[in-house]
Amino acid sequence: METTAKLAFSFIGVLLTFLLPPYLDGIARRVKARLQYRRGPPLMQTWYDLNKLFNLPSVKPTKSALFTWAPFLALASAVIGALLLPYGNVVPINVGFNLVVFFYVILMVSVFLMLAGLTVQNAFSHLGSAREMQIILTVEPLIAILYGVLAYNAGSLNIADIVSNLHLTPSLVMTYVLLAYALYVESGFVPFDIAEAEQEVIGGPLSEYSGRLLGVFYYAIYIKRFALLWFFVSLLVLPWVGPINTTLKAAEVLAIQFLLTIALYPVIASLEATNARLRIDHVVKMNTRAFFAGVIILAIAFMGW
Amino acid sequence: MILEYAIGAFILGGLVGLIRDYKATVKASSFMAFLGSLALLWQVYSVYTNGPVSGNLFGIPLRIDNLSIVFLLIIGLVGTAASLFAINYMEMFENVGKGWVYAVAYNTFLASMALVVTVDSMEYFVMSWELMTLSSFILVFFSEKLRDVDVSVKYYITMHFLDTIPLFLALGTAYSLVGSFDKLTFENIASAMATAPFHTKAVFGGLLMIAFMTKSGMIPFQFWVAETYRAAPTSVSAVMAGAMEKVALYGLIALIWRIVGTSYSLGLFVAVIGAITLTVGTLYALRETNAKRLLAYHSIGQMGYIWLGIGIGMALIPKGGFLGAVGALGAFAGLFHALNHAIFKASLFLSAGAVEYRTGTVNLDELGGLGRTMKVTALAALFASLAISGVPPFNGFLSKWLIYVSGYYSHSYVLALGAVLAAFISAATLASFVKFYGAQFGGDMKRYENVKEVPAGMLAGQWILAGLTLLIGLFPGTVTGILNVFNAPVETNLYKIGFQSVFFSPVLFVIVLGILAFGLYLVFKPEYKEAKPWDCGSTQIDEDEYRINAEGYYIKYEEKIGSFYRLGDWFYSVGAGIIHYIVRAYLWMASYFTKIVDTPYTKVESLDDLREREILHIDEEVFKPLIRFLNIARDVLPGIRLGTFIVIALIVVGAIVGLLIAM
Repeated sequence: METTAKLAFSFIGVLLTFLLPPYLDGIARRVKARLQYRRGPPLMQTWYDLNKLFNLPSVKPTKSALFTWAPFLALASAVIGALLLPYGNVVPINVGFNLVVFFYVILMVSVFLMLAGLTVQNAFSHLGSAREMQIILTVEPLIAILYGVLAYNAGSLNIADIVSNLHLTPSLVMTYVLLAYALYVESGFVPFDIAEAEQEVIGGPLSEYSGRLLGVFYYAIYIKRFALLWFFVSLLVLPWVGPINTTLKAAEVLAIQFLLTIALYPVIASLEATNARLRIDHVVKMNTRAFFAGVIILAIAFMGW
Repeated sequence: MILEYAIGAFILGGLVGLIRDYKATVKASSFMAFLGSLALLWQVYSVYTNGPVSGNLFGIPLRIDNLSIVFLLIIGLVGTAASLFAINYMEMFENVGKGWVYAVAYNTFLASMALVVTVDSMEYFVMSWELMTLSSFILVFFSEKLRDVDVSVKYYITMHFLDTIPLFLALGTAYSLVGSFDKLTFENIASAMATAPFHTKAVFGGLLMIAFMTKSGMIPFQFWVAETYRAAPTSVSAVMAGAMEKVALYGLIALIWRIVGTSYSLGLFVAVIGAITLTVGTLYALRETNAKRLLAYHSIGQMGYIWLGIGIGMALIPKGGFLGAVGALGAFAGLFHALNHAIFKASLFLSAGAVEYRTGTVNLDELGGLGRTMKVTALAALFASLAISGVPPFNGFLSKWLIYVSGYYSHSYVLALGAVLAAFISAATLASFVKFYGAQFGGDMKRYENVKEVPAGMLAGQWILAGLTLLIGLFPGTVTGILNVFNAPVETNLYKIGFQSVFFSPVLFVIVLGILAFGLYLVFKPEYKEAKPWDCGSTQIDEDEYRINAEGYYIKYEEKIGSFYRLGDWFYSVGAGIIHYIVRAYLWMASYFTKIVDTPYTKVESLDDLREREILHIDEEVFKPLIRFLNIARDVLPGIRLGTFIVIALIVVGAIVGLLIAM
């Protein structure tokens, strides 16, 4: 592929990262509304909401500089996480094309969210931060073990090697299923939106945020969700389309990734619409079980299945 | 050899103890320790550029090779920062007095560690090791609080049974193989060991393994760590956690791996011990609310990472080929993590010490809101917290990441599971450091509104290390040359580090992150007005208490894994029980050599009896009648009258004459 094509793909990647996530949320809102026999807002609604927030000044309840910087650092981490992934077969920012780096960069969004919540003297934001951390605590081991299966299956931790070397085994199928669950939890979609629960802890770590800073945080969270979904879609698509040699093929793959992402969002939205928020101890229990399922899958993978 | 200057500085630092004034003593001796540590770093540089050196120091054979300098680097870095920090910090213990004890013990401690990793003789290795244990024991009870003294005694007894005795037995084994104390160099032992029968190797290796596992706090010998690090002055805890634990790692590599040799199963053993330890240590740290105990449990956990890495190396390097390369990567990552852990853990201890210096407590439940008044300390603590949690671009990320890579690539279920546990525990580490940072520096508290930042020397001590976490994280190439003892095929240059097709480029990452964050900041330039946090409109609330206590952060999670804690507590109670019975055994022996005199006919039953009662040792007991007689004579004779004297003299003469006649 020549440089111009690569640049074009990177540019599309950047565009998708910055523009698509709020639209995806718009889709989700529309789907939820339809499930509840409502008309629902326009697809642009999330963008309108963000835009409104971006235009409002914030209220700052502490002198800490971290409070001001955390939303921007979180947003930057989310963007980098999204740009570490393949669009077609082009990775826009190649600082290390591997699972562990992706895993940590996405984690950084949560890290800054939690630190931001803890800089304020407010019990609700502390509670939200602690909840966020507890979810991470239970979902990280699950993700780690699934990455172990992927790395063993493909013989590498490099995402490019993984997508080109994965071979279909029963353990891989099970890994996909559990990975979908783990990424869903990590995205903080509805049964797992315990940390930012508005009705219980008035927004958790975000409870003291308002105006522009809040908008930036929301934007970061949308992009993080997009990145996790795009990662899953890429793992689902790229190994089975064969080597991508031409620009045309890459464009086709990108189109499939894009369509699949959009197609999966209604599924997520309907899951969100039909579930009620879980309690933190329920989540801990579920994730612990999933972890032990993961241990078994890893063993199956090592047996060669 | 430059090491001579370092040892010289440490000796001078000890002699400074002769000054009577407490403050002058601790300041001067800490400063000499600082100079000595700098000399150690100079030695590292000179060996790194000019190759290994051998020599002789007061008759002690020394050999500083590429493995020694890794550990000298660790000791030097930690020693430099902690000593600089201690210059002001040790003022806290002025009411204890006894500056000379600190001066001698602290400098001996640093010097003995430097000797352990450089001597080239089993005999002097054991001697320096004992010196290290003894001096650290003295430092642990330096505060002389009752609880701390108990802790230090238990520490010493643990070390005595699980370190000293195995080491001396191993020394004996080595002696029986080589046949002369003069020739007990590591090389001679290794060549004798090569032809030795299997059971000799097993005994020698097993004894050493117990000693090194204990010193680095591996399961099941971790029970002494938490309380010991809590009791010691914080700058000393920093050195113990940063450097002393690593010395045991040196022993593992230099004495077990290099002399006894390695095999797949031995490597697997080390890796499994490491994986268990990292899980147990860190999950215990999660529920701690005492900053120093929390850090202590983390040093158990992080040592687990290091052992996992080294274990992967010991298991896979003998296999050669691709797996050999993976093994070398694991061992490299283990050493890299040892260096990184020394840096960020010492830095964290120093931050906790700085907070203690200003507020007088390390209890996370009480602390809060210090981010506003102690900005520089808070930032150092944040850097080190992110580093230990493995957040890029700090140094902890790189070494942890390489450990995962080597575990995932090992083609062994057990080692891969070890890597999975390591990744999981990385999240638990993050959790407890979110707590550590948030509870101390987050929020605003009226109680600590007037706290001032610590003096410049203490800040410098923290920032030497906190700065290094970022520097090494950004430019790993600065240290990989020194660390690559095992010739691992890691590719490093100024802007990236990698193994085969996986790599990470921290500099690029930071540039992109910085540009993005700053750019977004400019795009959405925040405007704000300030207000107080929203407290649901309450008017009665105590604002200092409007928060979550450190204890409550992860309480649901801790409840869910409660059975794990119960199992761990059971193991702990077994360990503590064993120590208790050893103490009893010592007391039983002591009861034949001492006697409580202030209340006769009481038996020696606990350590407190020996400490609080007036006791008489056996040597005193033998000479006591004579001394008592002389005492009486001294008191009575000057006041005696002539008549009385004549009467006594006549009686004595009469008695003697009578006796002679009777015979």
